[in-house]
Amino acid sequence: MAMKRLAHASQERVSFRWNGRRVEGRKGDTVAAALYALGIRELARSRKSHRPLGLSGGHLQGVLARAGGRPNVRLDLEPVVADLDVRMQNVWPGPRFDLLSAARLLPSRWLRSGFEHTRLMPSGTWRFQIWERLLAFLAGMADPPGRDLPADAIPGQRLAVDLLVVGGGPSGRKAANEAAEAGKSVALACRGSRPGRFAEALGVQLPELDSRVRLFARLEIFGLYRNGAFAAGAPKDPREGAVIFEPGAILLTTGKRSVPPLVPGSHLPGVLEASVALELAHHHGVAPGMAVAVLGTGGERLVAARLAGLGVEIVHVGPVGALKRIAGANTVTSIATDRMITCDAVVHAGPWRSDPGLAFQAGAEGLGQLRLDQPATQVAMAGSAAAPDEPACIGQAGLPQALVCPCMDVSAGELMDHMAAGESDPEVLKRLTACGMGPCQGFPCWELQAALIARETGSAPEGFGRPSHRPPRRALTVAQAAGLDGLVAPDR
Amino acid sequence: MNATLPTRASVLILGGGMHGLATAFNLADMGLQDLLVLDAGYWQGGASGRNGGLIRGGFSTPEWTRLFAFSNEQWAGLSRRLGHNVMFSRRGYTMIAETEKTADLFETALNVHREHGVRSEILTEPAFASLLPAFDPRKVRRALHLRDGGVAPHHAAMKALLAACREREVDVRYRTAVTGFERSNGRVSAVLAGDERIATDAVLIAAGAQNVQVAALAGVKLAGFGMRIEAMALEPVRPLIRPALALIDRLVYLHQTARGEIVGGIDVPERPRMSLKVDLPVMTGTAKVYLELMPQLASLRILRHWAGMLHITPDFGPLMGEHPDLKGLWISGGWSYGWAGGPGAGALMAKAIAKGEIDERMKPFAPDRFDRGRPVHEAAVVLSKFEH
Repeated sequence: MAMKRLAHASQERVSFRWNGRRVEGRKGDTVAAALYALGIRELARSRKSHRPLGLSGGHLQGVLARAGGRPNVRLDLEPVVADLDVRMQNVWPGPRFDLLSAARLLPSRWLRSGFEHTRLMPSGTWRFQIWERLLAFLAGMADPPGRDLPADAIPGQRLAVDLLVVGGGPSGRKAANEAAEAGKSVALACRGSRPGRFAEALGVQLPELDSRVRLFARLEIFGLYRNGAFAAGAPKDPREGAVIFEPGAILLTTGKRSVPPLVPGSHLPGVLEASVALELAHHHGVAPGMAVAVLGTGGERLVAARLAGLGVEIVHVGPVGALKRIAGANTVTSIATDRMITCDAVVHAGPWRSDPGLAFQAGAEGLGQLRLDQPATQVAMAGSAAAPDEPACIGQAGLPQALVCPCMDVSAGELMDHMAAGESDPEVLKRLTACGMGPCQGFPCWELQAALIARETGSAPEGFGRPSHRPPRRALTVAQAAGLDGLVAPDR
Repeated sequence: MNATLPTRASVLILGGGMHGLATAFNLADMGLQDLLVLDAGYWQGGASGRNGGLIRGGFSTPEWTRLFAFSNEQWAGLSRRLGHNVMFSRRGYTMIAETEKTADLFETALNVHREHGVRSEILTEPAFASLLPAFDPRKVRRALHLRDGGVAPHHAAMKALLAACREREVDVRYRTAVTGFERSNGRVSAVLAGDERIATDAVLIAAGAQNVQVAALAGVKLAGFGMRIEAMALEPVRPLIRPALALIDRLVYLHQTARGEIVGGIDVPERPRMSLKVDLPVMTGTAKVYLELMPQLASLRILRHWAGMLHITPDFGPLMGEHPDLKGLWISGGWSYGWAGGPGAGALMAKAIAKGEIDERMKPFAPDRFDRGRPVHEAAVVLSKFEH
């Protein structure tokens, strides 16, 4: 099932290996984009049920694989280079013959959090020690890093600036340019290789970035510390050193992200966040599918028009609220709204919500529980990040089967059963189910969890505290973190 | 949470963490009824859901070793007693010395262990290499291995304790803060929670980092203060580090959980810090030690970094017993190795409260030992220095 390469795709070919097989990508591709173009969508498997996962923009587990002897490499960031050896993880003995995928046959109820402390294997017995070793092997998912990899600390840097802008979209650029014009020292950090890649792919005209603004591209700001006195960022390239900013002020223009609808099948490979679909089509020349459905909260028409303009075949455009379920075994084969629509990819453009992580880290305080009651004074938000969030989309029929946290296999049904038993505290639900404790560390799954709690308890999603957003959300490696040691002295 | 509280309790326990629940369970097991546990936070929100998960019975002093060896035994039989699986993994606990001073301390510890029946040994080079292949052996001067130590995950052990308490009709309420105490004739007579009053003649304070503040509500002082301690988790990988580890000279502890994450942290000087906010130096300092001693971890990513709080005392030892200034007010506090000590302390505290029997193993840790000039200094711990 090879996907369509669009007319503007790079023609320069690069050969690498996927699960031992030689495959071909194009220069400038990420590994995920190259595999997607070849029709290889299942890149990873969920932790317990071994469900197929792939590139989505949401759940990160879907893009983690072993590359060049390193475990858990993000394939949506890893560029294809000649002869790179990339392998699926969480398989045993190997990807071609994987006994672990038999877990798909088990009723998911059997694997709900807590199954591991079964009364059949109580601690204090020899069988528990065997059981625990087996669990550790299964839960570990990835083989440890090779012992021949470099193991030196990667020196970081500390940099004082008047203003740190996080996010390279239109409002981030505007604010950075204005501050530079006013004579301030400004740094702009963005995750993409160029600032404003999503806006660019959407066709938005972006102001040129003032040459006096210091640009940190491919750098993820992962934590704000001491009420925003320090901001720490890690480069996407694990060979580069991390950066600690000491900004006079911080402006978050991190925009909004589309939160996947909570319906059965929303975890399937082929369900893509609008920004990821546009990235594939615009930057890599890879069609998200041969027949694509675009769903959203109003912005779907623009996204669909943009994709169509790039040569993508669109078969349906409509409101995400009408979506009942996404069907397919290993990838999307159809969706159900008020009718069945055959399609091989679903792009969601809304509901749009801000990732609350950074603002939370800067301002939240507490003894018993961190809560964001008062935003940190030196941290401001602008652009769409500052706009109100849209309510998350929760399905109706078959809701218990929908996955709130696909990486950790937490279904809506598991959360609903705890709520039916009287437990609706988000912090407690997190501890009971491990919802949001996987590689994404809570976004977007806690948005869905909060919406589900609100629905089940008849309260407002903003009315209760959320689990604390903990840095650094796998943004940096041990070697990169070690290279920062000594740059910030412990506070007195 | 919003349901009315009972108007009286036989024993009122403040704190629904490891220590509060372990004591409640033991009291219920002894046949006491009308037990009430109140907790201002949420289930596992305190140190019981945020500690290193490490369990050991052997230290370098007889006092610590007697108490913790007893608790280690309790851990071993806990699943059976509770009827729920606490997942205590008896995988061993290795203490590592990089300096001559710490290596000597291990010799002292070995003798203490021998006297108190704790199984421990100095690992030979081949034994160390096969147990901890990820560890750079050149950095190790001596490794002391406790065979019966290990780890237990919070989510399983706390779930088991809470379930066992509720099955025995212990009333456990979270998100319920205490606001005051009443006393009569030099004894505790009631506890106030907002508008509600619970009559009782025995109160146990087991509120972790909040112990000093809760005791102040009762009008009495406790040694020590609340402080923040931080830890971090690396993303999961298949088993790489088998035993629980304490790097005594680096003040670092870690283990790999049954979920595959490598969880640990570096200690910072003990100072009053009442906050759950994390800071950069602990993350970078822990990473630096990992990298130097276990270079294979270099390319692993840090998943999350968080803070918890505990109640630290001037000698780092627990406070166990009745408060000398207020009859009926019991303390099980000052725990820095509280996860390891919980099941043992629960059994001893229950016996003390219900029967008035102060066990020999808890006597050295009486809450007034500092006033009497009898601190118990233990050096084989991952704690640096008490600064106040």
